[in-house]
Amino acid sequence: MSRLPPVSGEWIQRDRTLAFTFEGRRYAGFPGDTITSALLASGIDVLGRSFKYHRPRSVLSFANHDANIIVQRGTTPNVRADITPLTDGMALTPVNVHGSLARDKGRLLDHLSRFLPVGFYYKAFHTKQLFPKWESLIRFIGGLGIIDIKAERLTTAKRYDFCDVLVVGAGASGLSAALAAAEAGASVVVVDENAQAGGSAAYGLAGQPAGDAWQSLRARAAAHASIQIRTATTAAGYYADHWIPLVDDERITKLRARAVIISTGAYEQPAVFRNNDLPGVMLGSAARRLIHRYAVKPFNRVVVLAANEDGYRAALDFLAHGIEVAALVDLRATALPTENTRKLAACGIPIHTGHCIHEANGLDRVSSIVAVPFDDGYTDPGRAIHIDCDGVAMSVGWAPAAALLYQAGAGMRFDEAVGQFVPDHLPSGIFAAGRVNGIHGIDRKMADGAHAGLAAAMHLGLVPRRNLPAVPPETTCHSHPWPVFAHPQGKNFVDFDEDLQLKDFENAVQEGFDNIELMKRYTTAGMGPSQGKHSSMNAVRILARLRGEPIDAIGTTTSRPFFHPVPLSHLAGRGFVAERETPLHGRHVAAGAVLMPAGNWQRPEYYAIRGRTREQAICGEALAVRKGAGLIDVGTLGKIEISGPDAGAFLERIYTGRFANMRPGTTRYGVMLDEAAVIVDDGVVARLDEGRYYFTTTTSGSATVYRELGRLNTLWRMNCGIVNVTGHKAALNLAGPNSRKLLQSLTHSDLSEAAFPYLAAREFEVAGIAARVLRIGFVGELGYEIHVPADQGAVLWDALMTIGKSFGLRPFGVEAQRLLRLEKGHIIVSQDTDGLTTPDEAAVSWAVKMDKPFFVGQRSLAIIRKQPRRQQLAGFELEGPGAEGVRECHLIITDGIIAGRVTSVAWSPTLNKYIGLAMLATSLTAQGTPFWIRASGGRMVAARVVPTPFYDAGGLRQKPVQAMAEAA
Amino acid sequence: MRASALHDLHLARVPDGAGWIAAAGMPMPAAFPNEGDPATLALADASHWQRAGVKGPGAAAFLEALGLPVPAQPNRWTPLPRGGLIARLGLTEFFIEDAGAIARLIANAPATIGVYPVPRADTALVLTGRDANEVLLQTCNINFKALERMAGQLALTSMAGVGVLIIPQHAKSGADDIPLYRIWCDPSYGPYLYRTLLGIVEELGGGPVGMTGLDHLAPSPSDNIQPTGNP
Repeated sequence: MSRLPPVSGEWIQRDRTLAFTFEGRRYAGFPGDTITSALLASGIDVLGRSFKYHRPRSVLSFANHDANIIVQRGTTPNVRADITPLTDGMALTPVNVHGSLARDKGRLLDHLSRFLPVGFYYKAFHTKQLFPKWESLIRFIGGLGIIDIKAERLTTAKRYDFCDVLVVGAGASGLSAALAAAEAGASVVVVDENAQAGGSAAYGLAGQPAGDAWQSLRARAAAHASIQIRTATTAAGYYADHWIPLVDDERITKLRARAVIISTGAYEQPAVFRNNDLPGVMLGSAARRLIHRYAVKPFNRVVVLAANEDGYRAALDFLAHGIEVAALVDLRATALPTENTRKLAACGIPIHTGHCIHEANGLDRVSSIVAVPFDDGYTDPGRAIHIDCDGVAMSVGWAPAAALLYQAGAGMRFDEAVGQFVPDHLPSGIFAAGRVNGIHGIDRKMADGAHAGLAAAMHLGLVPRRNLPAVPPETTCHSHPWPVFAHPQGKNFVDFDEDLQLKDFENAVQEGFDNIELMKRYTTAGMGPSQGKHSSMNAVRILARLRGEPIDAIGTTTSRPFFHPVPLSHLAGRGFVAERETPLHGRHVAAGAVLMPAGNWQRPEYYAIRGRTREQAICGEALAVRKGAGLIDVGTLGKIEISGPDAGAFLERIYTGRFANMRPGTTRYGVMLDEAAVIVDDGVVARLDEGRYYFTTTTSGSATVYRELGRLNTLWRMNCGIVNVTGHKAALNLAGPNSRKLLQSLTHSDLSEAAFPYLAAREFEVAGIAARVLRIGFVGELGYEIHVPADQGAVLWDALMTIGKSFGLRPFGVEAQRLLRLEKGHIIVSQDTDGLTTPDEAAVSWAVKMDKPFFVGQRSLAIIRKQPRRQQLAGFELEGPGAEGVRECHLIITDGIIAGRVTSVAWSPTLNKYIGLAMLATSLTAQGTPFWIRASGGRMVAARVVPTPFYDAGGLRQKPVQAMAEAA
Repeated sequence: MRASALHDLHLARVPDGAGWIAAAGMPMPAAFPNEGDPATLALADASHWQRAGVKGPGAAAFLEALGLPVPAQPNRWTPLPRGGLIARLGLTEFFIEDAGAIARLIANAPATIGVYPVPRADTALVLTGRDANEVLLQTCNINFKALERMAGQLALTSMAGVGVLIIPQHAKSGADDIPLYRIWCDPSYGPYLYRTLLGIVEELGGGPVGMTGLDHLAPSPSDNIQPTGNP
């Protein structure tokens, strides 16, 4: 192979060269070259090795439609060399090669192929114990590129875009469609996977330059203000409402169109003959692309295997560029008497009609072929013709590039007349044009495109509706019905990705995999990087013939997005992960907080102290709350206001407790169930005045609860308004024996026990900020939950921390809070409960008022209460050695069976022992019952059921005045 | 003193002190080092304006009784005569932003049947410049170019995974009419959204802009509003 003299319309620029290396050797190409074209022009024959048998490979389609030539570039694996532009300094290596391309150790597998038939994996590797070894061996032998897991992450931008009409494919039909739609007033985006627009029309004219009509079409489309042409861009799938991911080198663009025109053309299909994968054997269109776009001479002496007019045009094209055509082998008994056939005959080229290629021969490149008479699948090797050549160009048929049509829901049927699947009916807003629509020939494709463009404009209401005469259907078949030639020695490949031969399909059918979907999965046909672009149609033909049914009865496999590989970096995009921060986030970071995720929030787990361990820091925070004062940011709690005449009645329906009878200025604990009586949330409800309530939800439940309440209010039509103020309010919990004195120094309001008792709610100014204050005690101490506008939260924090210095105030994190509430026996919904836990099992039956007319979950709970209870949350203490190894979710084992699980466990510095909560089988819940917990490593740790709360059982620390009275 | 949810992020770029000004009771950077050009591409924090919401079946009548120009249809907004704007987010939900007077009035309105005040401390951003639409295309699945053709439209949508209210406006930079987008979100998402947008803005050659830079943008006559600067 070599570089041709300048070819009219070539894509390369010859004014300078680009240096690159392949397998460490230096080569040169031109700007505009692809990696493959530069390597071929440098005289390299073998550019890759096949996936399974490591056979030598080179160009097949040269159109980004096969995986014969895949290379590794630095940390980037699986670079498609056929279409990747050459750049200066590229250092490339082949993939799936052990050693070098020429001396690949894996090539020995080609001689073992008879031991690796279809289904080999399923039959050989089902033994569970041996599978890891086989897997490791297969991954070593097979595979594509090498992924460097330490490679730097690429943050690739995704992008949305919009247009009236999207045209997929910038060939003759696509550009005609774009012009027609744009001239009707539509904004049009045209995408094409090639580096330049034009499609096959620029090289498909039998050695003649492209016509005036075509040149004019390109120029008009490029100049039109309403047409945007995006080349090197693949429309990789179709999603509902005309949403198309456009993939280019840099990103995915999610384009929403109002109408889509599919003018994707067709994939030329290979013939199936022995050694049809040898380097030098390629599709006729591939050879012509090499010549016209990159001025690469693909071979010196070629045999053309034809079954349509394209083969004759290709042969004339080769002659025009100085390539010797050794013969044209035509599968048809007689060729149509066209101008091209006459021209070729006049050139003295031997034309063997009614023949096929029985086999190609050669080691690392084809050196000869054997042609034999052929009639409807039957060959006659006895009358073989041997022809020396260094190339074979296959032009035997086409398969529509219809993946997007299938994904859009188009109905397809097999049209025997044209020999391909064509659209039978199209969804609203989807149009097809050109070869994918069964229309061949440049003039007819342009007319079909214009028809589709105008139809799209009418669909959008840009022009009045009228009857548009469709382009008449084809009368000539462009695809041979059976380009498949059996050979006793096999190696006649149907799927080049997976090295699948004709006999593999025959064996699959014989073993019962005779449905197209089953056959695909058993043989893996179409499951490689090419996704069946060159194998699916032949697989369907083979199955149809083996079953003796028409192709329409076989159908095709399901087409799913993406139909073409998309880089993972493109899919990942920038990685938008929306995280929430409270207004105090900066204060926490400045105070040395170690942050942890809580729902989609970042919360302080604890505040690190130099020289102390995590556990020491957490214990220190907990003790500060017990002995002095602590401050925790509880702004992540859901915060919801509900107002109106029916607010109380609404709360009665959504919570298990009673709220309509609350006095203004009081708070009450609430438990929320779902319809199955499972606890889904809890919180504190404050009645602010007659018609106004304010309540909190769990951190992770705020959005869900608000959404559900909105749904219920719509359903129930109650006279109340629900307002979610979660992010708009900051909230702090000030707790500890010194909290009252501390808070009093920042407010003029009376905080005395009489004026502001336990479980009261008040609204007053703290540090000059309008605040809503709830006197509640989740951590079991005198405490105040202070809610203020979010933009004043930091000011409040600073005021409390400043004044708090003299009160021993310390910020505390989530872990200390978990410990403190555990000492009080308070549950955390979704930690101490799960997706099946009822209020009775969670020991909060006291918060359930069954005598109410209705609440969500009431009916289910009544039914459940008639059944024996299975489990119950209970407190426990750990006894004996191994206690430090017990964690949440460890199992309770009794008599060898699971009898529960630990839901919370911690070392209590206040009580000087390990305590916890466990969901236990009811048989274990009596006070004092011993049981065993299986800790990490299988160690059994002794535990005993004890009553809760573990700390301050009378709750006197939350009500110090009462405590003093009782003491007195 | 109020604080923007982005206060600490600004502090990382503009040290506390002379570079800050008080805007409607909120400290804000007057200017940033390597500031973006508002005519080309810039992102600003405009959280200093006061905001309030009101919802409920009586909300529209309540606002009309206050003499406010209530938009007749959902997803529409209109400027307030003395600066600021009122947006109708749904059939019975409204959003008001101004220098403080109306927002405070609504926030402190006595409870009335069918009228429910919505306290709002949104993070408010301004994305401005000829390249601003590119930032929207990378973060938001709304065709703003189509939206801008319809006067008074707003969008309630998701931007980089965050629920936002976006109002397309225009501003004058010299003789040029430049696109300007007002963006509001829950303040707890504010830092994330600002970091994300600013990352993209800077990648595209823009940058943050402070109060002074915003003040140089003249209001577009079509919007009849000083959309951004110090009230």
